[in-house]
Amino acid sequence: MKYFFVHRTVRAPIVLFVIVICVLLASLGSAQAAKNTMVEVGFVGAPPPGFQNVLLNVQQVRINPNSSAAPDNAKWQVIPVPPGIGNAQQNAELQIDLNTSQNLPQLFNTALVQPYTYQIAEIDLDPNNPGTLVPNCPLAPPLGDTADGCINYPLQLSVGTTVITTPISGVAPKKGALAVLVLQVSVKINQAPTVPGGPYIATVTLAPLPNSVLGTVTGSVKVTSGSGSGTSTSKILPLSVTAEAIGTNTPIATAPLTNNNFTLILPAAGGPTAPGFGTLYDLAVSGGADTYAAERLQPLYPGQSITVGPIAVTGNQTLGNITGMITDGCVATKPITGATLQLLMPPTSNSTADCLTSPEQCVTVATANTDNAGNFPLPGTVTTPAEFDQVPILPKKGSYVMEITAPGYDPLMVLAIPSSNTSNKGSTCSTNGGTTFGACDLTLNTGYIAGTIPITPPNPGQTILVQVFAEDAGTNNIESALPMPISVTSSNSTVDFTLNVPPSIPMFDLFATTIDLYQGVSDPFQGHTIAVKSGVTGPAEPSMPGVCNTVTPTFDQTIDCIGHGSVIGTVANATLGTSVVLSKEDLASGDFVQITNSQVQNQSPNPNASNNYSFCVPADTYWLQRVQLPMPSESVTPSVAPTPEPEGTPSITVTIPPAPLLNGPTPTRSAAPTGAPTPTATATQKVTCPTTCSNPDGSCPGICNTVIKTIP
Amino acid sequence: MARRATRYLLRTLSWSALGATLAVSVAACNNQTGFSGSVGNTPNGPPLASYEILGTVGTPFTAIVSDTRSSWAFQGNVPLSVIICNNILPARIVATKTSVNSNLLSLEILSGGHVAELQSTSAPFGTVSVQVGGTLNSIAPPAGSLPNNSPDLRIFVSGPLNLSYSALVEDITTGFVINSRAPTLILFDTPDGKVDATFFGTPSFPTFTVDMTLDGVVVASVMQGPNATIREP
Repeated sequence: MKYFFVHRTVRAPIVLFVIVICVLLASLGSAQAAKNTMVEVGFVGAPPPGFQNVLLNVQQVRINPNSSAAPDNAKWQVIPVPPGIGNAQQNAELQIDLNTSQNLPQLFNTALVQPYTYQIAEIDLDPNNPGTLVPNCPLAPPLGDTADGCINYPLQLSVGTTVITTPISGVAPKKGALAVLVLQVSVKINQAPTVPGGPYIATVTLAPLPNSVLGTVTGSVKVTSGSGSGTSTSKILPLSVTAEAIGTNTPIATAPLTNNNFTLILPAAGGPTAPGFGTLYDLAVSGGADTYAAERLQPLYPGQSITVGPIAVTGNQTLGNITGMITDGCVATKPITGATLQLLMPPTSNSTADCLTSPEQCVTVATANTDNAGNFPLPGTVTTPAEFDQVPILPKKGSYVMEITAPGYDPLMVLAIPSSNTSNKGSTCSTNGGTTFGACDLTLNTGYIAGTIPITPPNPGQTILVQVFAEDAGTNNIESALPMPISVTSSNSTVDFTLNVPPSIPMFDLFATTIDLYQGVSDPFQGHTIAVKSGVTGPAEPSMPGVCNTVTPTFDQTIDCIGHGSVIGTVANATLGTSVVLSKEDLASGDFVQITNSQVQNQSPNPNASNNYSFCVPADTYWLQRVQLPMPSESVTPSVAPTPEPEGTPSITVTIPPAPLLNGPTPTRSAAPTGAPTPTATATQKVTCPTTCSNPDGSCPGICNTVIKTIP
Repeated sequence: MARRATRYLLRTLSWSALGATLAVSVAACNNQTGFSGSVGNTPNGPPLASYEILGTVGTPFTAIVSDTRSSWAFQGNVPLSVIICNNILPARIVATKTSVNSNLLSLEILSGGHVAELQSTSAPFGTVSVQVGGTLNSIAPPAGSLPNNSPDLRIFVSGPLNLSYSALVEDITTGFVINSRAPTLILFDTPDGKVDATFFGTPSFPTFTVDMTLDGVVVASVMQGPNATIREP
């Protein structure tokens, strides 16, 4: 009886277990067995004019071979949001900005699908929150309660569904191949908000674009048998080729190898004249228990193809790991969270490059980050181990060049020898060029800028969050920001800050911005003036370990409540390398401090090309400078990534008049607006204070102004 | 003897299957069921919002999150889930990207199983801010800085990236059920007494690494899998 009870008790769960497992296996098998092709999806934006941002919240893209497929049709294939956002099981979505993808497609994701000939595609927007629109400040009357700019407005679709579909053709991936689907996403405004904070009602449409807006990189990898002992690790990263933006570790797309061949389809900058502007990429070959390899490519043009290789790697490598800890060189045992570690390799085109002294000439083949305790690498997934846990061990105790960077610290270049995954000894690093090796517990040098910024305090019960940035003097290359913004209350008239900066930089420009709310909701742009300080001499290098230096600049400019403003315009003869930099003058020195930049959007050959730029910035006086990224030379492989340079007319001044005040006196500033037409905002709004900020007398900025400025 | 061994094996398998099914069911219910007294001895707290810091994997950031009583500053890399136990809404989170590239940094608040608010930036050192539960006019004092918001207790959970898990985090009066994915930073706002937490991974979840810090000092560390328990000493 006891056995009977035990048997009956056990049998039911076993049956359940077996059934569940069988069903799972069956569904897994049927789903995965046929998903042997890939589709890469990209978006090109076609936003309405007059907006700083046109943001859509995309949950997924689906494609189907049946043009009239019902929503629950079994043949729908899903391209989910990218892994860093979520996956099929996550309630997460990717926010795309149609304004920034007008010239170059923004890759969405690549996914395995079944090998059908697809007839229809759809994007699924978040039904609860399909998107957000941020208009520029209004140009001219009539102005009303709902006309304010540089703030978030919800998007409401004119149709009752957030699933947008389009017929497609030519998407018919064969087994093991990659197909591309580029979708143009258009937004047309049907109705502006009718109540404060109300939605824009708009129509979103979808249309397929030809693949000629992309370029193709094909090639092969030649794997020769190595003499290593191999590896017993069960999960090995597959051998793959990753395209990275030149000189960075930013992956754009990754392609697995099929019969040792690969195909990457990548955004390529075009233009009005053939072959186009061209986009530069690096290739990193890694995985598969093979040695690393790297390539730096010549410019890639739309509709064109680059053939690479064969790229030589050696297989059967013993895999090891590089682990350790990154700490602050000034504060003992203080971990550095979020440091980035990169293994560098010289590209085939420049195989003699010394990555230790010229890292800009090399390609990143593996990346890791530190965790909250300063330890690296972060764990990978069960199926995708961390890159630093599968580093091929070089023969004869060979070493890799490893670069460690963290905001506010000097970069550190070391030689690193991975440790065998079966060894008790850890990886070792050398900070003296290979003379001696020790544990990869490394420290980064830093120094401090401790300053004070005057601020008009907020009213009781409110706070202002202030963030301070340090950048290389005369550039917009930001080196550091405060680890947390400073909260300013009504009892504070100054902001005291201490900022980590790399001591190897001789001089910095500083600027301080605020993070505000607009009528209680998140404000995408600040309403307080930006305080700048130019030419701050950086702290000296530590005189000895742990003895670090501080400089103490004083800001002359005050952070005031002023309200939003915007600058818009066009740029003559722009190319895809053209941008506009906005700076503010440090009146004490007469130097400009660069604040932000705007890519020139909607260029030829787009229909109705406008070559426009726009900024949402607090009402104030600024300077605009055209900046040009050099056009890559056709068929020439660069040794380093090009850098943008100022071009054309020296800086042009522009003054955005402050918004009229609500519930208070009219603005006291007398600065005349520049450009045309002249904004004539009227203070008749019913919106209550505070808007983006408020003044000590309870008044607050009303509807903001826009200035038009053409850049020659 | 062989029959007994076989029976023991089958029994183990069957209970494992039941356990796995239960774990999956609990996870699938997305905070709607709680643990109903089967784990821990405290009544369930309300469902919690999750603050997701997403984007290009590895992108470094600094952030501050605040409810009406406490605020916490921290640094990390994308992705990171942040959860405040025992919070008093409204709450706000502000994150600043600390790299000069065009990597995406996206702040999403998950509440009730959907994205309640979302802001993104690709700008170098760009800043994003979102809030939930109304308007938070002031950032609260740092956790642990006042008697009524002490101590500053944090639990950092790391494991294989993006793997989902369920957890019960409780002080002596309230238990909070969490369904999240690694890595996660759990902030316990003004705990009543000592805190313990139990994490339930799926059978394929190899190991949790859990650190508990109290006022900035690591007071407990656990490395276990697929389940792990950590207790404030």
